[in-house]
Amino acid sequence: MLVRGMSHNVEALETDVAIETPEHIVFRYRVAGPARRSLAYLLDLTICYTVLFVLGVVLVLAAGSGSFGEDMSSLAKAGTGVLLVLLFFVQWVYFVVVESVWGRSPGKSALGLRVLTTEGRPITFSHAALRNLLRAADALPIAYLLGIAFMAGSKRFQRIGDLVAGTMVVVSDTRTVAEPIRLWPPASPQELAFLPLHVALDHDERLALELFLRRRGRLGPHREHELARMVAPAFQKRFDLPAQDPVRLLALLYDRAQNAGREEAPPSSRAAGPAAHGKTEVRSWR
Amino acid sequence: MALASAPTERAFAERRERDWTELDTLVRLVQNRGAKALSADAVHRLPPLYRDACGDLSRAQAARYSAPLVDYLQSLTAQAHIVLYGAGVVKPAKSAREPSWMVAFPLAVRRHKTAMFLAAALFFVPFFLGLFLTLERPELAFRVVPESMLRPLTDAYQQGFADGRGSSDDTLMAGFYVNNNVGIALRCFALGIFGGLGSAYTLVQNGLFTGAVVGYVGSQGAGLNIFTFIVGHSTFELGAIVIAGGAGLAMGWSVIAPGQRTRTASLQHVAKDVVVIVCGAAVMLFVAALVEGFWSSSSVPTPIKIVVGSLNFVIILAYLCLAGRDHGATKEPAR
Repeated sequence: MLVRGMSHNVEALETDVAIETPEHIVFRYRVAGPARRSLAYLLDLTICYTVLFVLGVVLVLAAGSGSFGEDMSSLAKAGTGVLLVLLFFVQWVYFVVVESVWGRSPGKSALGLRVLTTEGRPITFSHAALRNLLRAADALPIAYLLGIAFMAGSKRFQRIGDLVAGTMVVVSDTRTVAEPIRLWPPASPQELAFLPLHVALDHDERLALELFLRRRGRLGPHREHELARMVAPAFQKRFDLPAQDPVRLLALLYDRAQNAGREEAPPSSRAAGPAAHGKTEVRSWR
Repeated sequence: MALASAPTERAFAERRERDWTELDTLVRLVQNRGAKALSADAVHRLPPLYRDACGDLSRAQAARYSAPLVDYLQSLTAQAHIVLYGAGVVKPAKSAREPSWMVAFPLAVRRHKTAMFLAAALFFVPFFLGLFLTLERPELAFRVVPESMLRPLTDAYQQGFADGRGSSDDTLMAGFYVNNNVGIALRCFALGIFGGLGSAYTLVQNGLFTGAVVGYVGSQGAGLNIFTFIVGHSTFELGAIVIAGGAGLAMGWSVIAPGQRTRTASLQHVAKDVVVIVCGAAVMLFVAALVEGFWSSSSVPTPIKIVVGSLNFVIILAYLCLAGRDHGATKEPAR
């Protein structure tokens, strides 16, 4: 209890930002760190300079294939002028335009990132302009070192441009519903007989068990067993259970904690006998 | 316990998944193709679906369903929230008091008058210093500008513009001016974040540089030629550099003296004006690059160039000083 009380007062070292909407729903956004953002930036640079490079090659080929010396050089000159304008666009305009239109650059999009205001709203043109013009300051002295230093000091991983514009870069997660964890095979009558009716797990315990059970298929039986054996004895002692396969024990406990007493619960989470069943009903009234 | 009355996670997800998928599809549609892609039915469906998803999220959190389901609902509602409250979907009606961009720019510039005058001083004092010193003693110019750059430049101006330049050269030079000059001005602004020091340095350096070039070329007897060349675009170009630098100084000052606000809040407050100023300056520089590339170097007779250049100066100055006076917004303090 004491530990839990403390964890509420001490601010957790998290990379999440909570935002409350008019519906009084609180979202948590995961803020993107320097590694992801650097990758996205490199991807954007690659896209831009590939386009520039291809245009440059086309220009050289076109200029080289002209048969008249005078035309050739004038085409090359005009083309170089256009390329210089494009270079300017890549350096200063590209990010402003793509971020104000889509809220993310192609590189950010590829890495699942999005730029939002610190209130969690999409950014407008002036946000995009500010945060990207100030890249010039973030990029100092070399390779965005200053920007990374500011990110390290900021709770939302904001570089100078983000601080001035009041924006942050978040990870917008992939969207698929994960299957709930299913106890398989279903609990046998013997197993149900010794499981306590009410398994009280705190949030962290539930999360740990859940993560473990979700990774079960990928761990390999030996590693799985090894991991389960580290925690199973503690639960065994707490709930006064007989010794058995630790992996199965964790699965049973999680299933009971998650599903016991719920409507439409699978048979495994109901109590063993009719007498016990009655108890469940009483509990649900409380 | 609240757990008792809640359905299992599986039952809950199975029952609600159809709505979630529908919401997700609509949200993706808006994200990919814009709000206009929604049919009238979809527009009516979106808000109730979003509210239901919000309710489902609260329910899932209260019933302590597993993390992936809660995460999924979080991300779904978050994306829907962005779409529903996004600037792209609901455009607030423009208030009558909100000035258009054309007026907002001079208004914002005038709100930061002090910074602008300071920036002008930081640019023009070194400019005239460079100009008069190099007119007196031309060899001083080599201390600021490399000789290898000054000599060909002088030769070019001594030839004059009687035969103009090919249009391809014009395009090349316009491209160079866009890339170089607009880049310098934007960097001059951005580096102002360091207490204005970056802007001040860039302003002084460019003032001295430009003054030395003009002074040196003038001392070599091509004064009229270079004056004819720069008179057309200098108002745009030098004006915009000073304005961008002034915006940088204003930003830097908001960090040094944030007043009652925190430093970040003070920065963000000034940033609203500053972004308007910088965008305006960038447009001015773009115009400058076009004028410099295609007009200044053309073979138009000198008197016409001088008249047009002076007109430019008067018009720009009048625009910056007078536009939007009746708006009254200048009286609202910026900080």
